[in-house]
Amino acid sequence: MSVAGAGTAELTPEQLAEVRRLQGLYPDKRAALLPVLQLAQDACGYISLETEAYVARLFDLSPAHVHEVVTFYTLFFREPKGRHVISVCHNLTCHLLGAEDAIAHLKARLGVEVGGTTKDGRVTLLSVECLCACEMAPMMQVDDRYEGPLTPETIDRILEGLQ
Amino acid sequence: MPKLTIDGRESEVPEGTGVIEAARRLGIEVPHYCYHPGLSIAGQCRLCMVEIGNNPRPQIACNTQVVEGMVVRTETPKVLETRQAIMEFHLINHPLDCPVCDQAGECWLQIYYMKHGLYEPRMVDEKVHKPKAVPLGPHVILDAERCILCSRCVRFCDEITGTGELGIFQRGDHSEIGLFPGRELANPYSGNVVDICPVGALTDRDFRFAVRVWYLETAKSICPGCSRGCNIAVHSNLRRPHHDGGRRVARLKPRYHAEVNRWWICDAGRYGYKFVDDPSRVRFPTRGRGDAAAEVGWDEIVPLIAGQLRRYQPGEIGVLASPQMANEDLFLLRRLVDHLGLAHVDFRVPPSRPGDEDRILIKADKNPNRRGAELIGLGPRDGGLDARGMLRAARERRIKCLWVFHHDLLASAWPEGEIREALESLECLLFQGSNGNGVRLLAHYVLPSAAWVEREGTFTNFEGRVQRFWKAVEPLGAARADWEIVARIGEALGLSFMPDTGEDCFKALAATVPAFAGLSYRELRDTGRLVWDCAGRGPA
Repeated sequence: MSVAGAGTAELTPEQLAEVRRLQGLYPDKRAALLPVLQLAQDACGYISLETEAYVARLFDLSPAHVHEVVTFYTLFFREPKGRHVISVCHNLTCHLLGAEDAIAHLKARLGVEVGGTTKDGRVTLLSVECLCACEMAPMMQVDDRYEGPLTPETIDRILEGLQ
Repeated sequence: MPKLTIDGRESEVPEGTGVIEAARRLGIEVPHYCYHPGLSIAGQCRLCMVEIGNNPRPQIACNTQVVEGMVVRTETPKVLETRQAIMEFHLINHPLDCPVCDQAGECWLQIYYMKHGLYEPRMVDEKVHKPKAVPLGPHVILDAERCILCSRCVRFCDEITGTGELGIFQRGDHSEIGLFPGRELANPYSGNVVDICPVGALTDRDFRFAVRVWYLETAKSICPGCSRGCNIAVHSNLRRPHHDGGRRVARLKPRYHAEVNRWWICDAGRYGYKFVDDPSRVRFPTRGRGDAAAEVGWDEIVPLIAGQLRRYQPGEIGVLASPQMANEDLFLLRRLVDHLGLAHVDFRVPPSRPGDEDRILIKADKNPNRRGAELIGLGPRDGGLDARGMLRAARERRIKCLWVFHHDLLASAWPEGEIREALESLECLLFQGSNGNGVRLLAHYVLPSAAWVEREGTFTNFEGRVQRFWKAVEPLGAARADWEIVARIGEALGLSFMPDTGEDCFKALAATVPAFAGLSYRELRDTGRLVWDCAGRGPA
């Protein structure tokens, strides 16, 4: 997917070969829709409506049915996201141990609301349900790694490491 | 074929039948929202729960296939309790705005709440809010808060039209029906999603706030929009004439016919009835051309027209019947044509543009009864002229009197100037039709025809199926069924046969035209009958 045309979806020949491989794994190729959407998101950063329509053509589906899948799952970004994604757990254990304070601190430090992205495109802040890491509560996911227990100090240190 | 027992009654149904369908065949209606016999099974609404055998928990009847020896119970305490709980669940976020909802009176939330709900509401939280009054396309409007997510409309667009405009987006109690952003629900069958929506989520923009459904009368009918002959119901508003600007026909709905249209009709047919209450309707007979036209009574105009038809030689008279006319009209007209010995007779006028056609229902021929006109024999006789020939002859003043039924000849495929010249050259132009057009403006005599919903009759569809339509409303003004007008003129010209009803006409037709032999209104019933063509070949 050409990064230049963010939103204008077009996979490279290598990526298309991967799409065909994924589709071939299942009796009904529609089963490969989720991994292909992930592939498209990795390539483009998010799933635009144009990407949905493009993926729909790869699956002989109507765009509405791809839109169903993309809107169902929270891990698909429908708008450009920051270079880093912070997802703070606000489920029971984290909540009891101070998730609200952690979220308030992040909002203040980043200057964004939950769901927002910093103006410089550095960080997107999300709050999420249980990430299955109650032992490190309150915790958050930063890109691919878990961080916790969170204090204002650990949060500041983590944010400094994000460019 | 597996045998099973439903509520103590034995039944035998084909392998693969769903329990819900097996029950329906016994006259047992298992309540449901998402199940529709014309669509795939979704198992989405969970309302059709029944108890099967000794299974500890109720199962859905739509997606459970019958097996030999199955024992189904649809009214046990456990089933009733489950239904009640599911009704409560469906109504949790429902806005309960029945007073302003067009669906009220034919809403399956209302019906099933009264039958299977009747619980004390426990919902104290703020309801989830969703988009309201969103036009999805030219005909359909969405209220997402009323939607119970049965997915019938989604499946219709996927499976029947193959257009796939709709989907269910988001998840949980935020799920909502919608279009892919930027798209429109504008396929030629979009109105059907309103019919199959069991609640008030999808309503008809044309019918919006027009009239309450409990004021509507229903008459069985046939769509006159093309040669398919879709079975429809005409819903008319006679009890609240002050509503909806006096429009008598409020809406058309499809009527199930297994072989013609199943559950569906196209939008062109559904919304094609506007001419019935249109200002262009011809309401009274008139004599005199253009500004000189004056309203006259039937008693005055019938002898005048009979006089005109007597005045000319048979070779100077042309008759242009219409495939919009019913079999009854065409038959009586043929009687009169035979009686007068006329040879210049036709019914075929090519439309200005070829009609659209698809593989679902829509036929290119936009006339409901071309086949009937062919079978009854309204073509040129004994070397007579066809329609174009008659108009050429009119220009050359060889045809002096032309009787045109319904056709707007000036809006046909033929050059308008040439046709206008032909019509202006006539000494006597008779126009008979339900609505005015260019021909009417040039006519010396105008005879007002009842629209198809204002009378009974039969059409013969493209495959040779003769189907009845019933009267829904009274004719406007002095309008009469075409056959009645022809009969009165025929009587004045000494034609002995004078039918009193459409049924009498049809009896005589069945006794005269071989293709219709043995048929009667009673024989046609609701489903119609395929006829044999003149050459004695089997059903067409």
